[in-house]
Amino acid sequence: MILRRDHIAGLAFVAAGGLIYALSGDLPWGSLGMPGAGMMPKLVLGMMIVFGLILMMRGGTSPPLVETDWSDVGHALCVIIAAALATALYTTLGFVLTMSLMLFGLTAAIERKPPLRALAFSVGTALFTYFLFSSLLKSPMPPSPIGFF
Amino acid sequence: MEATLDSLLLGFSVAFRPDVLLYAFLGCLVGTLVGMLPGIGPLAGISILLPVTYGLDATKAIVMLAGIYYGSQYGGSTTSILMRIPGEAASVMTCIDGYAMAQKGRAGAALCIAAVGSFIAGTFGVVLLTVVAPPLAGFALRFGPPEYTALLVLGLIFLAYMSSTSLVRTLLMASFGLLLGMIGIDVLTGHFRYSFDIPELGDGIGIVPVAVGLFGLGEILSTPSSTVTAKVVSPRLIELLPTREEWRQSAMPIARGSLLGFLIGIVPGSAHIISSFLSYALEKRVSKTPEEFGNGAVAGVAGPESANNAASTGAFVPMLALGLPTGPVTAVLMAALLIHGVPPGPSLVSEHPDVFWGFIASMYVGNLMLLALNLPLVGLFVSVLRIPYAYLYPLIIMFCIIGVYEVNHSVVDVWIMLIMGVVGYGLRKFGFDPAPLVLGLVIAPIFEMSLRQSLIMSNGSWTIFFNINERPIAASLLGVCAVLLVLAVLSLIRSRKDWRNKLAEAEGSEAVNQ
Repeated sequence: MILRRDHIAGLAFVAAGGLIYALSGDLPWGSLGMPGAGMMPKLVLGMMIVFGLILMMRGGTSPPLVETDWSDVGHALCVIIAAALATALYTTLGFVLTMSLMLFGLTAAIERKPPLRALAFSVGTALFTYFLFSSLLKSPMPPSPIGFF
Repeated sequence: MEATLDSLLLGFSVAFRPDVLLYAFLGCLVGTLVGMLPGIGPLAGISILLPVTYGLDATKAIVMLAGIYYGSQYGGSTTSILMRIPGEAASVMTCIDGYAMAQKGRAGAALCIAAVGSFIAGTFGVVLLTVVAPPLAGFALRFGPPEYTALLVLGLIFLAYMSSTSLVRTLLMASFGLLLGMIGIDVLTGHFRYSFDIPELGDGIGIVPVAVGLFGLGEILSTPSSTVTAKVVSPRLIELLPTREEWRQSAMPIARGSLLGFLIGIVPGSAHIISSFLSYALEKRVSKTPEEFGNGAVAGVAGPESANNAASTGAFVPMLALGLPTGPVTAVLMAALLIHGVPPGPSLVSEHPDVFWGFIASMYVGNLMLLALNLPLVGLFVSVLRIPYAYLYPLIIMFCIIGVYEVNHSVVDVWIMLIMGVVGYGLRKFGFDPAPLVLGLVIAPIFEMSLRQSLIMSNGSWTIFFNINERPIAASLLGVCAVLLVLAVLSLIRSRKDWRNKLAEAEGSEAVNQ
């Protein structure tokens, strides 16, 4: 049997639906006259599982999984790691330091741009954005631990 | 009609205030840029800039954000025509004949036809919006919980029916969105649902982190910089005027696209995208020279560009009159109004006439601004496209993080955005359209509340939805749902029959060969 895209997608939704259903055990169903907090989520989960099963069953017409182009996954992974690191450091290091580091990492390390140009772009952009939001748009940004920026 | 004109005059008195004009201009300018730049669509653009509007009043905020929406429809055509890269999903069809026209040296004419078509369609849409929305809002005042439940069910089924992907996939996405929308405290009983002891999840998952993650970050993750080329054709101002023959060829497609786009815009779904596809198909069908399509047909630019602009205006009808979003963009715009303490819906016209009519009047002005921006300044905009994507996408990620963080000053929201970015990337890989997910997330609280209220009202009897004597509107709406479902099942059976026929034919031919 050829493993196809919709088989995997349907299975993922059925599994996720089943798992969340198991986590919903303490939510009361209530009655039709007085629906509880669990009625709607459980109904929707039921729908998700049913649609997931239909997708799996009709998956024979979808493209084989091996035909899916995953060539961009490495780039996507690098980008998401850089963004996750920036998120983790955002309130600790402050806006300017964190964003300068993230922009520099993405342009110099991932996109292989000349380091000096990438540094000027990163620091310049982060500083400009900081002033734009903090001073002009009056939208406070997280400050750095050294007090400045 | 006289009352409508008086109200419209009130709207123009608001829209012509210098501060409102400034924000309309900013919205149109940013919208044009958002539409042009690959990797950032109107939804991500509006979501990112939503926090910037917190310091503004409701009128200026909605005028600016709506300007981004319809401005992006104008801007999307520029990259499609000059680079063959749709800056925005609704401009995909413009790529085909727009770029072909550019290759023939008619880039300026294609840009002019796209801009004029967008202007005519946008203005036509606003005129219809002016006429249709207020009476619809008056009618919607008769709606109670059962009617809203039925309307939302109809919206979901219509969305699935109209969706570019399959019915099951769309309903699956909508279910996923509904489930996400149920995270947080249940307002009727006080139960915490799926919050996993994270206090920030008690208030539920916001639209902004989900929308920015799915459409902003998700798009960037699926677009490696190596695949984006910046080969730009830059037309001179003198080349912008189409010939008399090109004007003649574009007149009827603009008229058809405007009407078709507005009608599709009213129904739920990614209307501006669907409308451009349908308009292209329609123009090809009615054309006396269909072989020109794909080789620089003027109608292939004029029709879809007009349709997507009229659709983006049409989408405001249910949002303003019924308080129901028809797609993720109108959902975020609704959230913007709610943040400013202005609930969209039937009472908007009567309780906040300055916001309602000011917004509508600003769209007339905004369309004029966009025409002025998109024609003489096209050379300036084109220079923005020369920014290498390797520098552009890190900037977009930075603005995604700022935009999401600034809504609640919560890092949890940024984490949600990152997770949704990965989810969006995965969904694209598996051929899912994430738009119904956002729609499900937005309507989940309204849907759950109205369904539960209806059941409480009827003491647990489902007949409250079907009783034609007591609830004719709800029963009629559910009747339409049933018709749509039957049609969908019939088409499914027909396709299965086709499949069986093909298999039988294949088996038959195999038997003959043996």
